[in-house]
Parts: sequence; C-alpha cells; structure tokens
Amino acid sequence: MGRARDIRLAYLLLAPALLLLLTALAYPVGWEVWTSLTDLSPVNDHPTSFVGLDNYRRLSGDPAFWRAAANTVAYAALTSAVKLALGLGLALLLARPFRGRALVFLAIFLPWAYPASVSVIGWYWTLSPPIPTAYSVFMGNMKYAVDGALGGGAWAFVSVTLFNIWRGSSFIGIFLLAGINAVPPELFECAALESKSAWRRFWLVTVPLLKPFLALAVFLALTTAFADLANVWMLTAGRIVYPVLGTHAYWLAIHGGQFGPASALSLTLAPFLLAVLFVLFRMFDPPDQERA
Amino acid sequence: MLIERRWKKWVFFYIPLTIFVLGTLFPFYWMLVTAIRPDAELYRSWRAVNNAPFWTVQPTLEHFRDLMEKTTFPRWLWNTFFIAVISTGISLACGLLAGYALARLKFPMAGALGTSIFVTYLVPPTLLFIPLADIIRDLQLGNTPWALILTYPTFLIPFSTWLLMGYFKTIPKELEECARIDGATRFGAMTRIIFPIAVPGILSAGIFAFTLSWNEFIYALIFLSSPERKTVPVGVVSELIRGDIYFWGQLMAGALLGSIPVALVYSFFVEYYVTGLTGSVKG
Repeated sequence: MGRARDIRLAYLLLAPALLLLLTALAYPVGWEVWTSLTDLSPVNDHPTSFVGLDNYRRLSGDPAFWRAAANTVAYAALTSAVKLALGLGLALLLARPFRGRALVFLAIFLPWAYPASVSVIGWYWTLSPPIPTAYSVFMGNMKYAVDGALGGGAWAFVSVTLFNIWRGSSFIGIFLLAGINAVPPELFECAALESKSAWRRFWLVTVPLLKPFLALAVFLALTTAFADLANVWMLTAGRIVYPVLGTHAYWLAIHGGQFGPASALSLTLAPFLLAVLFVLFRMFDPPDQERA
Repeated sequence: MLIERRWKKWVFFYIPLTIFVLGTLFPFYWMLVTAIRPDAELYRSWRAVNNAPFWTVQPTLEHFRDLMEKTTFPRWLWNTFFIAVISTGISLACGLLAGYALARLKFPMAGALGTSIFVTYLVPPTLLFIPLADIIRDLQLGNTPWALILTYPTFLIPFSTWLLMGYFKTIPKELEECARIDGATRFGAMTRIIFPIAVPGILSAGIFAFTLSWNEFIYALIFLSSPERKTVPVGVVSELIRGDIYFWGQLMAGALLGSIPVALVYSFFVEYYVTGLTGSVKG
C-alpha cells in the first residue's frame, strides 16, 4: 500500500520537471530530426518537401563541413586537456585552507561567473584591437606572426582557445575542489604516511580517488566546447575565419534561412556527444551511479 | 629543513597561485582601464606622447554616464534580473521535487528517468535554437520575457535536479523515518525535515541557475528584438556594436556594471557553493 502511494507521489513530484523538459526539449529535438529530412526554408517558393537523407549526403561531400568538424574536434580536445590540467592544479592549490582563501576563491571564480558574451568582448578588445589604439600594432604583429607560422585562422584558434581555457578552468577547478573535499581526509593522511614523494602520491592516490569527478569534468568540458557557438562567433567578430560546427549551423539557419540543412548540420553534433558520453561512462563510474 | 620548506612553499604554492590569480584577473583589469579611459586616449597610437598603456592619465566616468543616459542599460539590467529570478525559481521548484523523488522514492524506471534528465543537460542550445525559434514564433512569445523564462529551464532543470538529487542522497534516511514514525506524512517530512537540511545544496543550485540565466546569450539574441526588451549580455553586444563600429568605452563600462549582481551573489555565497557542490558529488 505504502509502495503504491510512493509511486504515485514520485510521478507527481517528477511531473513538473518532465512536463517542461518534454515540451521545451523533446519536442524541439523531434522537430529538428524531422526538419533535417526536409528542405524547410522560409525563402522557398514551393511547399516543403521530404528529401530523406539528402541533407546529410550533401554534408558528407562538403569539404567545408569536414573542415568545421575537424576544427571542432581540435578545439574541444585541446581546451579540455588544458582545462583539466589547470583545473586540477588549481583544486590542489586551493584544497588546504590559508589566509585570504575566500578572496582567492572569488578571484578564481570570476571568469566563470562573468557573462561569457561580455567577457568575450573584453578578450576581443585585448587580442584583436581596432587599428588606431595604443597597442594595435603590437597585437597585429603577433597575429601575423602566428598566422604566418601556422596558417590562416590560427590566431582565431589561439584566441578562442585562450578564452575558453581562461573561462573554463576556473569552473573545473572549483568542481574538482568539491570532489577533493568529498574524499575522506584520512585517505590522504594515510597516503602521506606511506610515501614521501608527492608526485607518487598524486598519481597513485589523488588521481584514482578523483577519477569519477575527473571524468565528469572532462565530459562537461568536451560537451560545452563541441557545442560552442557564441564564443567563437564573437571572438571572430562574426567572420568565418575559424568555422566550427556551431557557427556553420548558425550561418546556414539564421543568415541562409536553410532550416533543413542547418538542422542536419547541428544534428551531426549528436554522435560526437554520444561517443564522449559512452566512452566516459564506460571508463569511469560516474559519481551518482554506484550508490543509488 | 625549515628553510627548504619555505622555499618549496613559494615554488609550489605562492608563485603558481599568484600566476593563476593574475591570469584570471588581467582581462577584468584591462576592461576597467578601457572603461575609464577618455576616448581621445583610447584611439591613438602606441607611440603618442604621455602614453601609459597600463594606466590612464585622466580617468573619466564619461562612458558610464553615456551608458546610463544614452542607452536603455538600466532597463536591460531590470529585464535580466526579472528573467533570471523567475526562471531560477521555476527550475529550483521543479528540481527540488524531481530530485527528491529520484533520490528517495522507489518506483519503476527511476534509474532510467534520472539518467535521461541528466542527459538532457547535455543537449546544447546549439542543437535547440532552430526548433525553439520556430516554436516561440508559433506561440507568439517572440520579443517577450516569457520566451526566455520558458526556455531557460531546459538547461536549468536538469542540472539543478542532478545536483539536488546528489545532495538529498547524503542526508541520512533515518531522519526522515523518525519524522514519519512521529506521524508526519511523506510530504510533510520532505518539506519540513529534508528541505531545510538541504539549504546549502538548494543555494548552490540556485546560484548556478541564476548565473546561467544571467549569462545566457544565444536564446536571448534570437528571441528578443526590440532594444528595451533585451537582457544585459545581448543589449551590450548588439546596441553598442553597430556594424563594424564598437563603442569600446561604453561596452566595457556596460560589461563591468552588468555583471556586478552576479559577482555579488558569488561573493556572498561562495562558501555555500563549494559545500553544496561537495555534498552533491559525494552522493
């Protein structure tokens, strides 16, 4: 009897969340899958027709798509690796109390708490200043040096990567710090008695204990970078110097009005996301699974 | 021995920490300097006389005044605040109830539902903005705050549910069982015993949701069009950049002023935030 009532209560409690998620999430995703199979576009003069997998077929033959996909993967992989390393370092630095820690917390947290769309302009101003400003010659020379050495678009890549790392490592740092706090301190104390080498302790104790949190952190870092659109867009001032899948889709949908191909394009993100999800959940237990 | 320790502490602690803090704060410093630099000094060459690249000779509040008087900036602040508070409220309420159900009640498909709610967090706006634009147009909600209040929970609910579910799991079941033996209903035990204990978790979910909605950009950019309806991030970006002309001073002034509420929220609650996050990742 109690059990039946529990079940009813559970669904009742879940109802508002599920209702909102279904209408504002499941329905749009369905719409998008369907649209990616049509040639829907407000600029069409003929009625929308079903085109099957045509949009996808055209994408797979489009070198611009593959370039954007490669850019996306490079961007996501590089930023995630650096953010993880920096974030872990940060978490270890902040793990023990010291004077002024609250202030340091606040300072470290600020990049993440700050609206990205706004701080990204600050970065744009710093890295690619308009011509008649105090340091534009200096930054211009940097840009030409980098682009010259690594090919066009390299400076754009450097700027989006720097910005992403600056903003994301603070979040990962705080997240991993929460993870370190969740580990019973006795474990670290034991390890300190066992081995004098901090380096060995780090690899043999700290990293394995933090594995689930590291996995989740990598996961969050990778997914946000994969799906990044706004930051890349702003840092390149809306110009296509370093196309990623997100900006490509935005360009097609909002400027080109081609909802069908744009939907197909943004759906190509899904396999990336699923692959990352699958690998990480296989490799490490996520923290909430084991003790359910 | 002691000397060696102190040396080590500098190399492994103070110096890296200082580099971190300087690195995170430099862009803000640069924005501040830009915001208080007079135009005459902003737009001139590196080699001009009396140039101080890292400071300004004549600080001015002119850009701030322009921002307040010549743009609808105060209005953007209010819009952002209104939207962030309401969507955070909605998401917290949903997240609390759903998180409790997932953490505490046994029912068929609990695991699957929990995982799928978490997975929805990973559906990025990049995937959703096209269909949502269509839906918002059909519902005729375009250019109203409700367009955002209804769409923000899509990314706020999953995370707050997940965070709160983890937090609820750390609260011993016995507390609740005692209350029930004393005659409380399950609902009563939930609202009067469990929720008060979960305040750090609720606060950190709330802070998280508030920041995310305050900072959201893509939906606000696509769904709002008239200048007086915009939120701070979009307003600053779209009204102070006209084509290729950037009003740098005002941009930076707006960027600084517009983010003070978020910075304040964090400075008050940062300890809670870490405790709350710790509680939930433990769970």
